[in-house]
Amino acid sequence: MASRMIGSAEGRWIRADLRARRGQALLTVLTVAGIVTALIAAATLLEDGTNPWRGLFERGRGAHIWLHTKTVPDVSALKSLDGVTDVAGPYHSAPATLAADRGRKVPISLQEAPAALPAVARPLLSEGRWLDVRHPEGVVVERSFARAIGLRPGSPFTVTGLNGATHTLTVAGLAETGDQGFYPEWAPGLAWTLRQTLTAVEPAPGRTETVTGLRLADPGLTDLIVQRAVFTLHGQVQRVTTWREVRAAMELDNRLLGLLLGLFGVAGLVAAALALANVTGGRVLTQLRDIATLKSLGFTRGQITRMLLVEHGALGLAGIALGVVAAWLITAYALGESGVTPLSPGPHAAITVGTALVVLVAVWLPAWRGGRTPPLPAVPAAPPRGRLSRLARLALLVRLPPALVLGARDAFTRRTPALLTICGVAIPMMMITIGLGCWATLDDFIRHPEGVGQAAALAVRPADLTAEETRERVMADPDVVAAYPGAELDALVPGQTRTVRTRALGTSADPYPFPVAEGRMFRDRGEAVAGQGLLDLLGARVGDRVRITIGGTPLIVRIVGRVIEPEQDGEVLSLGIDSLAAKDAVPPRFYGLVLRPGAEPGEARARLQAQGLEVAQAVNPADRLAVIRVIIVALVVVLALIGLANLLTAGALGLRDHVLDLAVLKAMGLTPRQVMATLVTGTGLLAVVGVLLGGCVGALWSRALIDLEGRHSGVGAGIGRAPTPGMLAAAIGIAIGAALLVALIPARRAARARIPVTAR
Amino acid sequence: MRQSLLALLAKEPAHGYELKQALEAIFGSAYPSPNIGQIYVTLGRLEKDGHVRSVGVEQSNRPNKKVYYITAAGLETLQAWAEEPTEGPRVRDEFFMKLVLAPMTGLSDRMALINRQRRHYLSLMRELGELAERTDPGDRVALLLIEGAMLHLQADLDWLERCQEELP
Amino acid sequence: MTTTPAIRAVNLVKIYQSGRGLPVPAVRGVDLTVDPGEFVAIMGPSGSGKSTLIHLLGGLDTRTSGEIWLDGKRADTLSESGWAVLRREKIGFVFQFFNLVTNMTVADNVELPALLGGASPRHARERREYLLGELGLTDRAAAAPAQLSGGEQQRVALARALANQPRLLLADEPTGNLDSRNTRDVLKLLSRVHRQGQTIVLVTHDARVAGLADRVVSLLDGEIVDDGAIVRRRGPGGTAGDVVELRG
Ligand SMILES: Nc1ncnc2c1ncn2[C@@H]1O[C@H](COP(=O)(O)OP(=O)(O)O)[C@@H](O)[C@H]1O
Ligand SMILES: [Mg+2]
Repeated sequence: MASRMIGSAEGRWIRADLRARRGQALLTVLTVAGIVTALIAAATLLEDGTNPWRGLFERGRGAHIWLHTKTVPDVSALKSLDGVTDVAGPYHSAPATLAADRGRKVPISLQEAPAALPAVARPLLSEGRWLDVRHPEGVVVERSFARAIGLRPGSPFTVTGLNGATHTLTVAGLAETGDQGFYPEWAPGLAWTLRQTLTAVEPAPGRTETVTGLRLADPGLTDLIVQRAVFTLHGQVQRVTTWREVRAAMELDNRLLGLLLGLFGVAGLVAAALALANVTGGRVLTQLRDIATLKSLGFTRGQITRMLLVEHGALGLAGIALGVVAAWLITAYALGESGVTPLSPGPHAAITVGTALVVLVAVWLPAWRGGRTPPLPAVPAAPPRGRLSRLARLALLVRLPPALVLGARDAFTRRTPALLTICGVAIPMMMITIGLGCWATLDDFIRHPEGVGQAAALAVRPADLTAEETRERVMADPDVVAAYPGAELDALVPGQTRTVRTRALGTSADPYPFPVAEGRMFRDRGEAVAGQGLLDLLGARVGDRVRITIGGTPLIVRIVGRVIEPEQDGEVLSLGIDSLAAKDAVPPRFYGLVLRPGAEPGEARARLQAQGLEVAQAVNPADRLAVIRVIIVALVVVLALIGLANLLTAGALGLRDHVLDLAVLKAMGLTPRQVMATLVTGTGLLAVVGVLLGGCVGALWSRALIDLEGRHSGVGAGIGRAPTPGMLAAAIGIAIGAALLVALIPARRAARARIPVTAR
Repeated sequence: MRQSLLALLAKEPAHGYELKQALEAIFGSAYPSPNIGQIYVTLGRLEKDGHVRSVGVEQSNRPNKKVYYITAAGLETLQAWAEEPTEGPRVRDEFFMKLVLAPMTGLSDRMALINRQRRHYLSLMRELGELAERTDPGDRVALLLIEGAMLHLQADLDWLERCQEELP
Repeated sequence: MTTTPAIRAVNLVKIYQSGRGLPVPAVRGVDLTVDPGEFVAIMGPSGSGKSTLIHLLGGLDTRTSGEIWLDGKRADTLSESGWAVLRREKIGFVFQFFNLVTNMTVADNVELPALLGGASPRHARERREYLLGELGLTDRAAAAPAQLSGGEQQRVALARALANQPRLLLADEPTGNLDSRNTRDVLKLLSRVHRQGQTIVLVTHDARVAGLADRVVSLLDGEIVDDGAIVRRRGPGGTAGDVVELRG
């Protein structure tokens, strides 16, 4: 009972204090909220970008299990299985062949769909319209498949059934689904048709399949329910696919992005912690007298610590709550339109709890210090009289105006707060610079794709042609400079249960221009280069020999160099195609095409496709990392806010220290303008030092840090770029300008105000 | 008392008893009430010095009484008194004598002297305080007098403190 | 006499360790006993250790050696929190610079100790209303301390110190920063609570304040050089004439 009562005394004080500094409290809440919002939004984008399955699956209420049966299964038996909430289908499904341009034949799977969009396993229409009984020839094509084949809403195409009959259909619309992976990783491609259309293409019931989807209450029970369903259907089941396979097919395992984001998240949190500690510390410093008074009244050390912790912690937690709500609103409304699903609960909880912990730790230190204040308020609150610091003396020596000298003196009078202010500005500035470094790195990816192993913008598969014909056709294209024969194979490596990608491209005599970061390019048969990820996986170093097995053929290669490898998390071995056994090497599976500088890959691709070639365009890692740009901008804004919040605290503290001095200065005959200059110099000097320090350290570190990230993500060191000098100068200039402006506001007010001669 | 009687007479002529009453009315309890004999003695001296003159007034059933008037010489003296600066209170020279001399004789040490004196002053102060509390708050003159006395005492106490600090 | 003293200090010593490591003895072996209801003034030149002594008695500072007994209980061995709890229940403290909590209203300042002592908010409010009424500050209850004059602030500080009806009121130069009119207000208040039986130990330079005390203790260089009652030479009564002498 007593504790509740004592709580009311503490509560009284907290309320009074918050009332006395509403603006500052609000700023604290907003800072924390900004960081939490940025973190959640960034994580959401990241999750969505690298794991599109979840969003598609949730929005389409996908089925966790798909059962492929020869005949129509007992739906009611399936529905009554424990853990099954809904059943999709059963739908008929039939294989067919699509005649693509230039006589290419592509397998396609036609699947029956109702004319009204189903509630479960609903395809998500992204373009065009859904099936319509009045237009039975209209079908809806899965989007990634349509893209690969070059189908658009309205395009006609022909399919050939197993009986050889050809039917002309049109694309009514394009849709996405979380029930099957993207083409070409997941083949055959999918098209939804009406029942009647399906029957027209494949009249023989024996050649159709029935697919039935089960949506589960708990996805964790998938395996169990698969077993039960198979048992229930008495051997009717031919094939089962589950959501795990679909997800695995869709997932883009992008460790680089994750690491970059993690770096920013941690930096944001550190900056936020610093800002909070600064604000709390500054507040506690200005309140030492009051705290001592409270202790003289009988507040214990623990009570004071708890009180400060509750007050400032509550602000931080309020900020977190606000941030969570703001992030929710942003993902629901701003990003919701572009189809982004809210963050899954795991990372969400991690961010929330993580920030809460950081907030509490950041606040705890000043609170603890406040608790240790001796209970003697008699200590006069006079500011320490500054001896002229070395800096100020220097300023005098070079005959600076008096206001600047006085300001320079003030700046370093209180050592610890001065240091805190400098750090409070320098750390956000450093992170901003590192962010700019990331930006520059991405720009470099785009400008120099050959630097990340994408010298060949296009890859051509021979399809129906012979390798020689293909080579002739592509070399005839005016934009193509070189065509390297290549093959991609899976290789078994010792001590690993899984396979790694082996890429043979070019020959030992004429190797593909891999970006070698370490060692040298392969020159002989039996030599290879590897990405950082593979070296880590094998525990090998450049110069080591490794023994791999490709398609049953053992092969011993010497790794002579490390290349920048953005694919497969760097777990790729690259060698000359002549190093492979003839059965794997001849004929080459594809040609990597290097285009003339300045050529437009899209146009070249269209030209080559027109010649009946299957052409794939390389995806620049920067495009996959595009989301990081959004995150950089958001974090720069939040970091800037944090820096400004720190400056405001410093300004308020400085002002409080100098109220007495100001009276004296004015009496000495300083004009308001000079007084203002003095105050601005006092805070501004610290800010400038912080900005310069942060900018320099950031510029020095960004390259190393990004390389470190590159190393850990498997891409390998050697990608990092420092921000361009222009960018850096602009950032520093803007930061200093903003800092001086922020310092100006309280200084102006103080210079104008009539200042009492005594402190109290 | 000479000047206060002259001052009262400069205002208007009066006889001895009236002067006593006027003094009491002005200074109230702050002033030690003078006895009538003292007043007549003083008036006699003033008359002898030519500062006042008296006129007998007949009274029917009582002996004649004298009404006093201020003379030109008296006015002049009064004027000079008002204009000359007043001497400040002198340092308690007797105590200072004791303080300096007593330790030489070995009769008493300075610390004891100062402490005794301090207690004495404080008890005086206490009495002044109590007096101030008893005094009618409307009685400005009296209260100012008491306050003056208190401030003097405070100064004496501060001086004692200095003595204690400075003298070995 | 077998009454337990309100305070008993035995051979109390406080030595500060100054920055350069030189020990500064501020209080050097003080023995002091204060009976319940007594009003003791501590006087002495500045730097003589008065503040240090009163801080030690209130547990605001830790002694170097010696004993402090409050109400017959040993207090010098208490921890900082132990002292805090003791203060909130038994000791009211008044400082020279008022030390009101700046961002709380007058009312909150006065209610705070009662709330801290475990009183219900209603009881705290009633007590505050009573105290401010006594001090003629009822209409300033909602004001911030900064809006009050020095004398008003010090009266509020006194009200705050008395909020929990402490056994002991400690004050360090409560009138040191006030002009004579404000001093008089505070004095009236002190003598009134003293008459109601409040034990008071008070450091002062002001003879008027000391004149209220029953007893004066003089400190010099951290030692007690004099300790004795202020005797009344005459009984109550008498006029200004007894103490004021007009020359002339
Ligand atoms: N925190 C402290 N650190 C070091 N010395 C101190 C401290 N506080 C007081 N002193 C010294 O102790 C002595 C007594 O101080 P104080 O008790 O404040 O005297 P008073 O209140 O009588 O003026 C002085 O010499 C003072 O310099
Ligand atoms: Mg003192």
